[in-house]
Amino acid sequence: MARCFLLAGFYLSFCQLLVAQDLAAVLKAEKARIDVVNKVRPSTVAILIGGGTNGGTGVLISDDGYALTNFHVTQPAGPTMKCGLPDKVLYDAVLVGLDKVGDVALIKLLPKTPGQKFPFAVMADSDTVNEGDWSIAMGNPFLLATDFTPTVTFGLISGVHRYQYPSGVILEYTDCIQIDTSINPGNSGGPLFNMKGELIGINGRGSFDKRGRVNSGVGYAISINQIKNFMGHLKAGIDTDHASLGTLVTTQTESTGISKMRVSQILDESDVYRRGLDVGDELVSFAGRQIGSVNHFKNVLGLYPRGWRVPLQFTREEKDAVKKYDVLARLMGVQRKEVKDPGQPDPEGKPAPAPIDIKKLLGPKGPAAKYFIAKPGFANFYFNKQEKDRLMTAFAKHGNFAPVNGNWDVAAKSSLRLIREPITTKISIDEVKEGAGSKSVVKIGYGSSNPYELEPLKGSQEPLALRMPENSGGFNAALYVYHRLLTMGEKGFDQFHHGGVEPYYPPPADAREAKEVNWGKQRTLVEVLKTSHGPFQTKWYFDLKTAQLVGMEHRSADNEDPCEVFFSDYRDVGGRQLPHRIAVWHNDNHYGTFDVSGYKLAAAK
Amino acid sequence: MKFRLCLVWFTFMAAPIAAQDPVTKVAVDVNKKLVKIFGTGGFKGLPSYGTGIMVSPQGHVLTVNNHILTTTMVRVHLYDSRILNAKVIFREPELDLAMLKIEGDIDFMPHYDIEEAKKQPLAENGDWIFASSNSFQIATRDEPMSIMHGVVAAYSELRGRRGVFEAPFSGEVYFVDCIANNPGAAGGALTNRKGQLLGIVGRELKNTLTDTWINYAVPVQAKIEFKREDKLVKVDIAEFVSESIAGKYRQSEKVARQDRGGYTGVVLVANPVMATPPYVEEVEPGSPAYNAGLRPDDLILYVDGELVSTIKLYREIMSQIPPGSEIKMEIQRGNKLESIKLKVLEPKKAPAVSAPK
Repeated sequence: MARCFLLAGFYLSFCQLLVAQDLAAVLKAEKARIDVVNKVRPSTVAILIGGGTNGGTGVLISDDGYALTNFHVTQPAGPTMKCGLPDKVLYDAVLVGLDKVGDVALIKLLPKTPGQKFPFAVMADSDTVNEGDWSIAMGNPFLLATDFTPTVTFGLISGVHRYQYPSGVILEYTDCIQIDTSINPGNSGGPLFNMKGELIGINGRGSFDKRGRVNSGVGYAISINQIKNFMGHLKAGIDTDHASLGTLVTTQTESTGISKMRVSQILDESDVYRRGLDVGDELVSFAGRQIGSVNHFKNVLGLYPRGWRVPLQFTREEKDAVKKYDVLARLMGVQRKEVKDPGQPDPEGKPAPAPIDIKKLLGPKGPAAKYFIAKPGFANFYFNKQEKDRLMTAFAKHGNFAPVNGNWDVAAKSSLRLIREPITTKISIDEVKEGAGSKSVVKIGYGSSNPYELEPLKGSQEPLALRMPENSGGFNAALYVYHRLLTMGEKGFDQFHHGGVEPYYPPPADAREAKEVNWGKQRTLVEVLKTSHGPFQTKWYFDLKTAQLVGMEHRSADNEDPCEVFFSDYRDVGGRQLPHRIAVWHNDNHYGTFDVSGYKLAAAK
Repeated sequence: MKFRLCLVWFTFMAAPIAAQDPVTKVAVDVNKKLVKIFGTGGFKGLPSYGTGIMVSPQGHVLTVNNHILTTTMVRVHLYDSRILNAKVIFREPELDLAMLKIEGDIDFMPHYDIEEAKKQPLAENGDWIFASSNSFQIATRDEPMSIMHGVVAAYSELRGRRGVFEAPFSGEVYFVDCIANNPGAAGGALTNRKGQLLGIVGRELKNTLTDTWINYAVPVQAKIEFKREDKLVKVDIAEFVSESIAGKYRQSEKVARQDRGGYTGVVLVANPVMATPPYVEEVEPGSPAYNAGLRPDDLILYVDGELVSTIKLYREIMSQIPPGSEIKMEIQRGNKLESIKLKVLEPKKAPAVSAPK
């Protein structure tokens, strides 16, 4: 009996201990939550439109005032808007970049005093977010906050890698995060944080269905990892486009219940068709992710801007075996074709449509107006100029080529794929004066045979001539624009703008065919410059840190497989850095590698 | 011995689930025991998708007996990305549940043991709950169900109010504070923080007067009583499940629920547009309306002094009048106004829904 009492007493004290423990745990969790809220609150932006009758939310992501929000929030505002921060100060802000399909806009708040540092949120790796994690949303639902202090809501991650159909072409939510954290009209564009206070997404949409436009327990946030892929484009003021593959992919379910994703249609002008994908092939993985359903496929596609290259794996049933292929696919756009410069007739001969005068529709207003330049294809060309100028200034540190704008002679030893032995090679890029005009001639000579010669600007040339030498995709022409970029810079081109950030895949030195290469391992990020000059369309790739030119992709007609040039082994040549190894690829094959032994650069006569 | 038991118990309890720990493991575990169901629907705002709970290793699926099962064969998507056919093998309208059997060679499926689940005590008000379902058909194939969190707001009888909202189940249910009952969520799992099954997420239920929605789940312990061959029979969900799996469940005869109040014998014209006036198409001979003198082509203007400008309004008002009451109607016949009185009778019995063989 006594033992019983003892046990009962013991039991009671257990209970008290447990209650105390539970209470401590709850209080600790509560404190942690409050700390996180206090830490991240200052970065939340109240975006006010139409004098505050309309609006949404944003979140600062850098101390110089860049903030993310939804496209559908900035859309009614036009290029300028007012933003309130929880410090109760109202700032002027200007639109920087747009991703209409992904429903993302990048804006920039103007500091009140020069050099003012803004509070900002740190971005997380949103691929580490799981269903069942907790989250915090901040924003301005129903525009409640007249003093710009955001409303805080707390809830569960209900699902990850979700796909939500677009309305028309725009506002497609791919690979998004589903939350039961309450979001309502006005929360749009606001931040979703993990419990460490890191930014994991931008809240923008809910499944409202028949319950009116209020929270139905199902909200969606655009994953921050997707936005990171677009960030380079957004900062460069581009009106970015999302990607398509140029194929129709359908699900085939077998009697075992297992499904396969097969290509049922393919556009013959698509890059993947040139890479070898065809009707009937089964998609296995895309950008490193297994593809098991249409939603998986669309999720991956939605992560990348058009023009990016991503690895694609597919299989084909051939006779008795299933053969596996690994290729690097260039993504097509979804919204529209490349916007030509206004006034330039398009290649089909139709007159170019008059450029839309955005100023007439929604003029920039207030002090932010001087940071806005309208241009078709761009959300705000002012920022493209800024980015391009920054890149060009950094690149110029590697050498001033303006004084050596004449003939260039390059001596090299080349290893060509189709010739077994290394061969002595002479390259010359000549600027020849002829009376008042001038012409350029590019020659590539192997051993003692006749050089490949191209006069790039000569009228009525065979398209084949522009793609010389054979199997190079146009190395002569590439050298011509290369010389032009280095010696003339922006002046040498009709169009010259920053192209954002893209992945870049320099092939290993000993690789001779694309299918030998694990492209995922080769991936690095580069800054892109896009130029056009006459028929020549070129993408230039610059190292993110050093701004050195690491490669170029060159074509002389739309939908043509480009000549890819990879520059490395930079060495000093009379105070200028020049590549001493140049590798050329075309059509998934190595064309040749040029080991340069000497450059002779001359001024124009 | 007791002391040792105490110690064991102590170590178990000493690790309380911290308030902010992720519930990812629960989400993943529960998801494996659920299936996405695709059946009929897709019109009139009715979803063609729903959720089901695996209740046997051989692919028996418990779900809500709603419109997506109008067909006897549905498609189910399993968590492991398989897509298979399933057949409706039994229904119990009084529990508002149905049992599906996935066709094909299927075994060793993760599932809930309903017999075990019903032994758990009922959750109490304020207890944490998680609702996992395929609400809004966000997930397909192997994509996991949506999970949301909340607490038990009340445990009480789900009583429908005539015409305001019709409850498909009349026993006690969990009312929850999260918006669990979205399109497609019916048949989902309501669990506690350990992933144990508490209940089955119910249908979407709207109060048309206040334009609000109720979120409820039928507890696994739910029980019904009905007459079978003049004997009062009690059936709970576990019995429905085990007898269905054994292939010998006998369904109750459900009295069809009338959403139009009592019986008058009035048949109105078709209601093709939003604001069709309540013209009488037909009057059943011998019915209260017939005896009161109502005739085809009459236009009903007022019911008990309330203006009934449309068929919708007429039905709403009539649905709130209990059988046995006497009502007054003002009608227009030709150019004349007339006033009639009639008695509303008990609704007629509709034939029971029979299970497919």
